[in-house]
Amino acid sequence: MPVDTEKEISKMHKTLHSTQNEIGKTYYRWRQVAIEFAGEDTKPLDVALRAAEVFGKDIGKSLLPRMNWLKGEEGFLMILARSLAGLWNTEGGMAMVENGEKPGEIFIKCTRDPWPTWAKEYGAPMEEVALCRERMYQAILEDVGLFMNVPLKIELQKAISRGEGETVMKLYKTE
Amino acid sequence: MAKTLFEWDYSDYPGAKTYPHLFKPIQIGNLMVPNRIKYAATEDNLNGHDGFITDAGVEYMRQRAIGVVGGLCFMQGVYMDEKRQGQGYVGQAAAWDDKFIPGLKRIAEAIHEQKAVAGFQLMDCGRVGAVEVDYCHGPSAVPQRLRIFKPVEEMTNADVKTVVQQHVDAAKRGIEAGFDIMEISGIVGYLISNFISSYTNRRTDEYGGDIRGRMQAVVEIIQGVKEVCGPDIPLGIRLCSEELLDDVRGNTPEESMETYKIAEEAGADYISCTLGWQESIYPVISRDIPMGNWIHLAKRAKEHVNIPIQMAYRLFKPGLPNEKIGAGELDIWEICRSMIADPHMPKKVAEGKEEEIRHCVACNLCLARLFRDAPMTCYINPVCAHEWQEEFANPKPAEEEKEVMIVGAGPAGLECAYTAARRGHEVHVYDKRDGIGGTLNEAKKSPYGDDELWTCVEYQQTMCEQAGVTFHLGTEVTDDLIEEELPDTVVLATGPVYSKIEAPGGDGEKIVNLLDVMNGKVEVGETVVMYGNRKPGIGGALHLAKQGKKVTIVGKEKSAGFDVNPSFKWRYMIYMRQNGITVYNDCDIEEVTDEGVIAKAFDGVRWPIKCDTVVISDRGPNESLKKAVQSEGIELFVIGDALIPRNLSSAVHDGYRVGIRL
Repeated sequence: MPVDTEKEISKMHKTLHSTQNEIGKTYYRWRQVAIEFAGEDTKPLDVALRAAEVFGKDIGKSLLPRMNWLKGEEGFLMILARSLAGLWNTEGGMAMVENGEKPGEIFIKCTRDPWPTWAKEYGAPMEEVALCRERMYQAILEDVGLFMNVPLKIELQKAISRGEGETVMKLYKTE
Repeated sequence: MAKTLFEWDYSDYPGAKTYPHLFKPIQIGNLMVPNRIKYAATEDNLNGHDGFITDAGVEYMRQRAIGVVGGLCFMQGVYMDEKRQGQGYVGQAAAWDDKFIPGLKRIAEAIHEQKAVAGFQLMDCGRVGAVEVDYCHGPSAVPQRLRIFKPVEEMTNADVKTVVQQHVDAAKRGIEAGFDIMEISGIVGYLISNFISSYTNRRTDEYGGDIRGRMQAVVEIIQGVKEVCGPDIPLGIRLCSEELLDDVRGNTPEESMETYKIAEEAGADYISCTLGWQESIYPVISRDIPMGNWIHLAKRAKEHVNIPIQMAYRLFKPGLPNEKIGAGELDIWEICRSMIADPHMPKKVAEGKEEEIRHCVACNLCLARLFRDAPMTCYINPVCAHEWQEEFANPKPAEEEKEVMIVGAGPAGLECAYTAARRGHEVHVYDKRDGIGGTLNEAKKSPYGDDELWTCVEYQQTMCEQAGVTFHLGTEVTDDLIEEELPDTVVLATGPVYSKIEAPGGDGEKIVNLLDVMNGKVEVGETVVMYGNRKPGIGGALHLAKQGKKVTIVGKEKSAGFDVNPSFKWRYMIYMRQNGITVYNDCDIEEVTDEGVIAKAFDGVRWPIKCDTVVISDRGPNESLKKAVQSEGIELFVIGDALIPRNLSSAVHDGYRVGIRL
């Protein structure tokens, strides 16, 4: 039986997008439960930021085996930035990296992000998405920076609005 | 005048003439050691989880003490803290209290009974420790690269001083237990190496900073231990000559050599030259690394210090260490895995019986087991870690002598044959091939050191000859032959049956068998699909890729090489990538077409793969002859791949276990 390539690829594509969609929705379902358990005295944003921190810490640990200084500081920063962009892409985003004007400065730019759409669907504020992304990446950098003995920072420069436009984050080495 | 513990005269040993430099005495501190052979301290996980020595641990060491023929025999490194942060292995021996001394004394006595020099090693496992507690300790809280290790707690200045004292106290206990020589372990990621490395030591107190600062704790330990050792007990240290941590900003080789000089200045009487960390991304001791690959590091070490240099690391045969000792580039031949595989290896060298050595195949299964909290075992030596079980290690002669027919002269059949023959059975080995070795004849042709696997067959051949096994090579065993011979027992060690592709086109002309490919009996096109993602498929794929073929592996297992132990598997994964081999796991061949094959994943996704040839490496059990044997009422055993296709280790272990049962 010959392979209908178009059919096979579209089947895989559909499964991939469904999986990404389900991951986002699962997060917001879980977020709702966590907010309920946290009680009325706790702000939903604090719950979400704490979760981002825990996720980031764990993701940071999984990045350590891939970190590499063999190509020096610039090479290391590029590997790290690509890992962060790759993470976004795995979740359904369209992120890429660009060297900044100064050495040791890299921009991660995301032109498509499904998270604001999911946030809207579940009634979460849009700004939470950007703040959580920033917090998660900061938590990732904690262990990575300590591991390589390089002080690192990441800052949100511009946030995507309703899934359109561009989110920009700056990764750089602090003095 | 240096002290001599035991007199040894090697003049009657033929090996001492062949390898004269290995059997020359050497002075270490004020101790005269009769030869240049050392069994290096190796964890075995054979002791109690409370740190007490067991019978298994004592007998394991006794056999290694026999092996060193008067040389140095070191017991495994002991952990020294009651909090157990320094414990890196569940069965690691402890020395944090006097209550451990009687057990340690048993080991020292077992070594002395063989007139060997008993070595005691102090080993705080640092960032790879805390196997039974939540946090390990280290100079700085640098995150772990590998999740299997516990988070690191940064030691306070007082903690460092406590650890120094723990080394001193443990050394006293070792001396009280009767050990003759002391060693500090500072390798592969253990605490001492954590202090030394720029990767893991970020301290700003007197125990950090430049290489002298990072060596300060080591200097204090050496000086403290040296004081309790006194003039008669030499003290050595194992130190990395290269950490191989340049990807995480570890020490430079120059800094490592500086540590050697500082250790000598502090009072070390010898240095054991090592390399690599558990966290290194570079292979150091696996089979793909050529023998003798690292010996130049011993020479370099000798150029930096004036105390004896010892080294192991892929020195499995006596020729090279003998040559290097003779040339003044090495002082002592350290042996570790080779004496796990054959505890009497150097003794056999001395006796001129090298053909009786069961050589290590550098698979690292022993290490994989230790890291997974399992007792030591050896891929190739079924008796390893069973030395204390008399019925297993030295099986009694058979109560009833039987005529045993073994079908198959592969590793399983050969192991069974000599084991059974030694016990008094009349053993006949049949094989349709004209030679012995079974499918190892083909497996040894895979690249990256698989030719070393053949040493197993060479050893078994010698053992069979000595045990009086009769061979019937070039003879295919049939139902009629069994009926004609009517042996008391039949052992089927026929090897596996190669699978068929149960799909349209599965019997086409482009489908060939792996054995024929490895033997060059069939033409293989430029593009190849290897059907089967276990070890034989990987070995075959690499063999073909080395010939310039474009190879794609399609296999049913969820991960390629799941039958390869994890300490070696990562090497294959890298080599497959380097050789451009594409691997599709968890899938099957749905159809063989004129253009190639159609692969189908577990979830139903299908895709075409172009190829000229499909090589079958997937295997199943071999059921042939079973019915014939059973219908004659003959005792039957099925072993090795004929039972369930596995690996060389399973074949050898199956063969031995059945051999002692017959």
